[in-house]
Amino acid sequence: MTALRAFVARLLATLGIERVTDLDEEVRAHLEMQAQELERGGMTPEAARTAALKRFGAVEPMKNAYRDSRVFPSIEAILRDIRYSARMIRRGPGFALMALLTLALGIGATTAVFSLVNRALLVPLPVERPGEIVSLNRGSSHGGLNLFSYPNYIDLRDRAEVFSGLVAYRFTPIAASADGVNERLWAYLVSGNYFDVLGVRPAVGRPISEADDAQRGASPVAVVSFRYWQQRLGSDPGAIGRPLVVNGRTYTVIGVAPRGFFGTEIASAPDFWFPLAMQPVIENGSPKIDDRRADTLWVLGRLAPGVGRAQAVAALDGVAAGLSREFPDVNEKMRVVLSPAGLFGGAMRGPVFGFAGLLLVIAGLVLLLACVNLANLLLARAVDRRHEVAVRLSIGAGRIALVRQLLIESLMLSSAAGLAGLVLAWWLMRAAGAMRPPVDIPLVLDLPLDGRVLLFSVVLSLLTAVMFGLVPALQATKVDLAGVLKDSASATQRRSVAWRNGLIVVQVAVSLVLLTGAGLMWRALERTQTMALGYSTKGALEVSFNLRLQGYAPGVGREMQRRLLDSIRALPSITDAALADVVPIDLHYSRTRVAAEELAAEREQRTPVAYVGRVTPGYFRTMGTRLEEGRDFTDADDEGSPLVAIVNRSLASRFWPGESALGRRLRLGGMAGFPIASSYQGGSVVFQVVGIVEDGKYGGFSDEGAYAVFRPLAQAYSGSTSVVARTGGDVGAAIAAVRGAVREIDPNMPIGAARSFDERLSLPLLPARVTALALAGFGALALVLSAIGLYGVMSYSVSSRTHEIGIRMTLGAQPGDVLRLIFGQGSRLIGIGVAAGVVLAVLVTRLMRALLFGISPTDPITYVAVVVGLSAVALFACWIPARRALKTDPVEALRVS
Amino acid sequence: MAQTDVPAGTLTLMVLRTLDQMGSLHGYGIARRIEQVSGDRLQLNQGTIYPALLQLEQNGWIKGSWGVSENNRRARYYAITRAGKRRLAVEEDRWRVASETILRFLAPGDRGAS
Repeated sequence: MTALRAFVARLLATLGIERVTDLDEEVRAHLEMQAQELERGGMTPEAARTAALKRFGAVEPMKNAYRDSRVFPSIEAILRDIRYSARMIRRGPGFALMALLTLALGIGATTAVFSLVNRALLVPLPVERPGEIVSLNRGSSHGGLNLFSYPNYIDLRDRAEVFSGLVAYRFTPIAASADGVNERLWAYLVSGNYFDVLGVRPAVGRPISEADDAQRGASPVAVVSFRYWQQRLGSDPGAIGRPLVVNGRTYTVIGVAPRGFFGTEIASAPDFWFPLAMQPVIENGSPKIDDRRADTLWVLGRLAPGVGRAQAVAALDGVAAGLSREFPDVNEKMRVVLSPAGLFGGAMRGPVFGFAGLLLVIAGLVLLLACVNLANLLLARAVDRRHEVAVRLSIGAGRIALVRQLLIESLMLSSAAGLAGLVLAWWLMRAAGAMRPPVDIPLVLDLPLDGRVLLFSVVLSLLTAVMFGLVPALQATKVDLAGVLKDSASATQRRSVAWRNGLIVVQVAVSLVLLTGAGLMWRALERTQTMALGYSTKGALEVSFNLRLQGYAPGVGREMQRRLLDSIRALPSITDAALADVVPIDLHYSRTRVAAEELAAEREQRTPVAYVGRVTPGYFRTMGTRLEEGRDFTDADDEGSPLVAIVNRSLASRFWPGESALGRRLRLGGMAGFPIASSYQGGSVVFQVVGIVEDGKYGGFSDEGAYAVFRPLAQAYSGSTSVVARTGGDVGAAIAAVRGAVREIDPNMPIGAARSFDERLSLPLLPARVTALALAGFGALALVLSAIGLYGVMSYSVSSRTHEIGIRMTLGAQPGDVLRLIFGQGSRLIGIGVAAGVVLAVLVTRLMRALLFGISPTDPITYVAVVVGLSAVALFACWIPARRALKTDPVEALRVS
Repeated sequence: MAQTDVPAGTLTLMVLRTLDQMGSLHGYGIARRIEQVSGDRLQLNQGTIYPALLQLEQNGWIKGSWGVSENNRRARYYAITRAGKRRLAVEEDRWRVASETILRFLAPGDRGAS
């Protein structure tokens, strides 16, 4: 009751409702009355005033205490605390700088990683009322396919009444020409209601409408991206109505998408939108979208007003069951699953979430280590400051006021660090946005620094302050008065030492795990530089182009490929050149079942899978691949001659161990449960082996003894090929020369990739590089933090044991004994941390196996190197305080106490 | 006789007791009265009385109001409230019991007799 009353009184005073009592006047009156009384006792007025003041005691501290208890802490009181804290921080600038640096790194890295999560999973699609948009995924008896066929989409659209609209789209690479620039870009082919249902209004012109999508091939119109409009059409509003040549046909620009509209997939930002009705023209009739069997479309739906997800799922189940009944052979056990839109119908949600989550955990872990370190240092200071605290408590400062001041000190540090961290994060995000990863996908990489990211960093800073500040502040003010008076090691002090030792062990273990991960990745990357690739990268280059997109029929295409190759071989800078449909290392290699003809029939299910490449004569010479037996393809191996193949060493010895494979016959594709190579129309094909080449890496660096079959391009035409060439001179100049040769054959030919082989091989290494970089960065940070932490703990231990060391030295302890004493304590902590870290690392690094290119996750060299390196750094951190211990002057040490 | 500090927690009791006996008084008056009653044995920093007065007022045990002092100066006078009187009774009992207990321990005759 009384407490409530006091609270109300304080509240009223704080709000200024209660009349202000004039303490100053009260004090003045008090001093005057005292002085007058003393004067009456015979003092001079001056002496009386001095004496009155003396009896009253210190005026200012009393006024502060009075104000603090009259009202709740005012801005002024907090400002006073801030001034005091600033003084304390200035007194230990080293500590402040370290705190700022480590926290800024931790907060910055964590915020940058969060912005990635934000982009991928939290920022809604740039459409109207994005909360209503869901992605429809087709689940079926044979696994989770995400796509729908066009006929199935139409039925869903017309029958599912829970949606106010269902849109369908697919994306495809296209060749576009404008202003004399030929580019290979990406396009969406969209249903006529796409812009309408999504509520996206063009910045200029009109959107694609239902009418544009009404009849196949009838409406050659395009909406272009804002970026394309700016860069290729000069931001000209008059660009509407302009012709645009795409895949060799002319389209009319009807609209420009609004700025920031990147389509409906984060990993696939297009530059064009075409009506789906133009698909047969743009994609040259393949795939056939009118086939109910061909799942070719992504489908998004806008939930009708008032319809919840559960209701929509129930309705879709009904529609899907109907479609299963009507088309039992195609839609067997069809189901429709809803997921958030934007990541390929949710297909990529898992991997993206996993990767981002892992990064977030690592960054958070390092930030935690930074907090732990600061908490450790503050704990040490708390023990040192307990006299000061006891004094302040006894002159009437409340414990809450003390904790408040200490927390303000932490908050000041963490706010400054948060600000610095935000700058760092912004810089990291900009760097990520400017990065053009060598991936042939139009990723949306701009990471917005939006309110959510800002809020995240602010909350993170506050949380950090509480994490590293609160425990030490509470410990510091929990003063055991009797203990302080007797200056004995109190229970709290012992508890805080145990805490700090435990934290050191955790730090050492975590840094060991991170460094082991980084070490393994580094070993793996190093190995890719020395591993046998089965070809040589020096002076090699690749220029890819697509004749099919330009609308060339196979007959013309063959002729053009021949002419092109001739003119490239005639270039003075080129020593060798050939064509191939896929160039290693590439995930797009077609793979198919392969078997020796005599074995194929009875062992169908266990026949191995091989990479299949289509190449021109001279390919192996150009690539620097050793032909071990037999012959290369020649121009005589054409459509009219018997089918031939060259296999690699692993395949030859798999089927014909100990014998020559030359002249043997090989059956390719056409076996149950596995699609045949794309150029065959049904049935299997038999080849005669004419040559054997050395093994190589085809689909990835992890290929170990992978099987490969090569066929002459002349016997299996592909319109999408790359020139591989080798030069003795400058690779960049050679690439330009090859490009020139391609343009001479067809000025509108879009060129896909044009790069050196070294550049090409960096693509499959990108995930490994990024992971290695992140782990190494965070690992190094963690190591530095643990070293600092260890140093802090050992220094404190030495300084608080000076007395003990002095006694030991007086009693005849040798320097060696003292060193053993100090190192014994340090190495025990390091040892426990290292042991725990090794166990953790063995468990965790298993997850990285896919990125290690054959290096074992328990690679002993890495473990030994990391353990030795980390222990060395940790012991060095102990050595500095140990040296100080050695310098202890026994006499001095004993006198101090 | 040497002067001692004010024992912790006793200042409120002394202030309430003073106001109960003397009626309305200003801060200086209360401070002087405490010094006199203690026979100048207590070393009182007179200023510390003001935070104590504030706390008592916030608890509703005393009430302050502006008045005019003996030397015609504006001064704030404090008077005990009814809640204050109740509180005083409680505090007095507590202290009486506590001090009697202590005194019994210190009584010379009883040493080692129990």
